Amino acid sequence: MLATILYLLFLLAPIALLALGSVGETWTNTLLPSGFTGRWYAEVAADPSFQRAFLTSLKVVAATCILDMLIAVPLAYAIHASARRGVQAAARVVTLLPVATPELVLGFGFILVFSSDWLPWLGSIWLLIAAHVVVTLPYLLNILLSDMGHLRLDELERVAATLGAPFSSRFLDIVLPLIRHSLLAGLITVSAISIGEFQISNLIAGFLSRTYPITLLQAFYGATGFACAATIVLLVLAVLASAGGALTARAARG
Amino acid sequence: MSVRFENVSFRYPGSTAGVFDIDLEIATGELLAVIGPSGSGKSTLLKLLAGFAVPDAGRILVDGRDVTDLEPHERALGVVFQSYALFPHMSLWRNVAYPLKVRGTPKAERRQRALDALARVGLAEFAERAPTSLSGGQQQRVALARALVFSPRALLLDEPLSALDAALRHGMRDEILRVQRGAGIATLHVTHDQEEALSMGDRVAVMHAGRLIQVAAPRELYDRPASRTVAAFVGHANLWDGEVRAPGRVVTRLGELACDTAGFEPGGRTCVLVRPEQVVPLAELPGAARPNVFYGRISEDRFLGAVRRCDLEVGSGLVRIETNIRTAIAAVSIPPEAIRLLPPDPTALHTGSLS
Repeated sequence: MLATILYLLFLLAPIALLALGSVGETWTNTLLPSGFTGRWYAEVAADPSFQRAFLTSLKVVAATCILDMLIAVPLAYAIHASARRGVQAAARVVTLLPVATPELVLGFGFILVFSSDWLPWLGSIWLLIAAHVVVTLPYLLNILLSDMGHLRLDELERVAATLGAPFSSRFLDIVLPLIRHSLLAGLITVSAISIGEFQISNLIAGFLSRTYPITLLQAFYGATGFACAATIVLLVLAVLASAGGALTARAARG
Repeated sequence: MSVRFENVSFRYPGSTAGVFDIDLEIATGELLAVIGPSGSGKSTLLKLLAGFAVPDAGRILVDGRDVTDLEPHERALGVVFQSYALFPHMSLWRNVAYPLKVRGTPKAERRQRALDALARVGLAEFAERAPTSLSGGQQQRVALARALVFSPRALLLDEPLSALDAALRHGMRDEILRVQRGAGIATLHVTHDQEEALSMGDRVAVMHAGRLIQVAAPRELYDRPASRTVAAFVGHANLWDGEVRAPGRVVTRLGELACDTAGFEPGGRTCVLVRPEQVVPLAELPGAARPNVFYGRISEDRFLGAVRRCDLEVGSGLVRIETNIRTAIAAVSIPPEAIRLLPPDPTALHTGSLS
């Protein structure tokens, strides 16, 4: 019991302090800030670089989710339906590689390839989105694959075929409805990772396509209150994305 | 409504397993049961008919139409899988109505036909329930209704009863037969349970190593198996290698047996088949020497309720007995008419053993 309380305290204390700091007038060399103000939030909201970063992050998250979904659903389905165990194992290893590779290494790879004369796309928002897709795809793929195995989707699909359903009907009537829960759960994970992603974004984002976490780093060189407020915004964004996903999942289930 | 395999061969890529030279016809309304040890190719036969595998050679006809190159969804065959495979996100009536939905039947009509089909398997009152709320037997009945609701050209049963409890299985055999007879369509029933095959099949096909080794009515298969392999696989059997000494006389490990040797030349090898239930157990040795009477020692004695299975050691041979007498057994008599001679086992020729 005590351990649980201590653990929760350990978990929540930084967030509580951030929240406190974001509304404190001044916070220098004291345990807690003094005064109450809303001006830090107003400043963050008025800051053009934060506005831009906020929008960039939203765009990147949305694009990453859509691309992940378009790639992962057919890919997971193809891996699952593949008859040979060897193919399945190999596909799993390949898809899991980005998880095992340190993001720093991935980032350097992107820099090497995309700063060349042939592919001079370093700094574009599309490259940033591509990087986020690479980093998040394995998580979604894994969630989908384990769900498909659990459902024995290949067998259900074979039955549907014998009942006269062509591929398109099988996909729309059987595959999609059955994987929608895991798809939504996976997309929540993808959003959370994409919103908070720092390492690769920091390496490959252009000056005009910085995501929120990168801009946030700059804030910590300025006023404490401003930094706290900016961080709380990120936190709220992440929580909203997860809650949104969870609510959509519940709506789909009902 | 008939099914025909014409010289069908299929080999799994990268292996020697598959099915070879399959010639088989299932008539309208007939239930053909296919049995064989695992890996014998019986499930492959079903896969080929359903369209999940394409033959390397030969063709498959349904109602005289070549379906060899058709996709599974174009074949209009009802398949019942071992795992029932009901769609978990659909209620029972929607499961049963699904084949009608993909065929574009209007909703009101397909609901009515699904309800009728569910009523035929006695599950009309569960129409709105989810599949997971049903027992295994009930799910299998829904799967059967779903496979038949669109009037398929043939019915394929892939080990439909093996996931059920033994007690439930017997009831389901009758149920499947009743529904199949009602629909009157050609049915291919793949099973590893020979009792199921003998009791349900109009004819039974025995597969071994990818080949059909005998196709016959159940009684004929049991009483007149074509080879040692069939005899050993279908039912229990005493099988002794022997040599035809003279017309009407065969020598085996037990000693000399008097029986009909028509079709076998003196001096030729043979394999003697006697079903254990046709061996007559004797409590004591008869006073006068009689042909085909052997005495020995009971080495195993298993009481199974209705029957008792014993092994009698006779010299270096063994006689399996199935009986319902409960007294001690000292000897057996093998009626000559219970003895059936089969072609010799090719492997025994090499070893030359008389086991």
